[in-house]
Amino acid sequence: MDADRRAQWLRGVLDLCVLGLLDSGESYGYELAQALGDAGLGQIRGGTLYPVLLRLQRAGLVTTRWHGGDTGPARKYYRLSAAGRAALTQASADWSAFTGSVRTTLRQEER
Amino acid sequence: MTDDAWLAALTGELRRHQVGPDLTAHVVAETAAHLRDSGEPAVRAFGTPREYAAAVADSVGGPDPSRAARPVGPVRLEVRGVTKRYRRRPVLTGVDLTVRAGQVAAVVGANGAGKSTFLRVCAGLTRPDRGTVRVYGRLGYCPQDGGTSEFLFPDEHFALVGAGRGLSRPDARREGRAYAAALDWTPPRSTQARHLSGGTRQKLNLVLARLGAPDVLLLDEPYQGFDRGTYLDFWHEVWRWRDAGTAIVVVTHLLNQLDRVDQVLDLTRAEAAA
Repeated sequence: MDADRRAQWLRGVLDLCVLGLLDSGESYGYELAQALGDAGLGQIRGGTLYPVLLRLQRAGLVTTRWHGGDTGPARKYYRLSAAGRAALTQASADWSAFTGSVRTTLRQEER
Repeated sequence: MTDDAWLAALTGELRRHQVGPDLTAHVVAETAAHLRDSGEPAVRAFGTPREYAAAVADSVGGPDPSRAARPVGPVRLEVRGVTKRYRRRPVLTGVDLTVRAGQVAAVVGANGAGKSTFLRVCAGLTRPDRGTVRVYGRLGYCPQDGGTSEFLFPDEHFALVGAGRGLSRPDARREGRAYAAALDWTPPRSTQARHLSGGTRQKLNLVLARLGAPDVLLLDEPYQGFDRGTYLDFWHEVWRWRDAGTAIVVVTHLLNQLDRVDQVLDLTRAEAAA
């Protein structure tokens, strides 16, 4: 896939993808970046990811806590709030409708 | 540039973008943890310190979507043209403030700018030389200090203040203890207020102001003596009360990134302009 286009698409949905990942439990920035990469969304730079996390925190969609590892550094953990879960449900439905429309339109273009 | 130098430069850039010291410390610690975990050079993961600081400032400085979506209610506090002098010195000059249900207003200003005087005027404890204050609904007031009675137990405070707000003794006690729990405090049964620490007494003060769920809540730097955890609990409570429709006025000199208030009344500027 064209990496530029993928990055461009991801920009619009990165916050939703993060909410989706957090739905299965709390996590921290680096782990989220890896999970996004594993999911096939490409390599997410820290400089892109953390501002998104800050925005989610500010909007009250995630809550945070600092937790010190026994061996490693203290990490900031993110957890989905009730508002975040509601936003995720809504956004998933919206996204399905949107991609459905895109898919239909692309098929028409093929004909 | 080494990572340490990069992080030091980031600290400076965040300060330049007027990101508060607490958030700066958090961002730098989180960035350092990421660099250690990933083993990537800082510039590749985060760009230049300036770019990353701008992105951080942008993501905390923009409008808060959760707030934009929140409906505000009717006007609860209306202050018009309040002027107050002590001897010849003007303390407040033509101050206006309107706070609606579900809004938080922060009152800021240098020492001596009249923040506490302004709150006392709002509470009806100090008479202004000119101007009007209208309160629509019931009022709760948390003074900077002196709101507690030396020889009473916390539960007796709850009963006393609760009685003034129409709460039965058991209800007042239950409500008081619930609010205290939100501030991570279990009021001791048989300790007089004079034997509580300063920070704990402030918690008691804050709980008393909140008893009976007043419509307007006036808080005069209510977090003095709080440790950091309690300070965050305090703001968390403020957001909860706001979301429940309380109109809140907070006097503070610590406006950092946490303080997502709806409006800021800067008394320093008002005084300087006068």
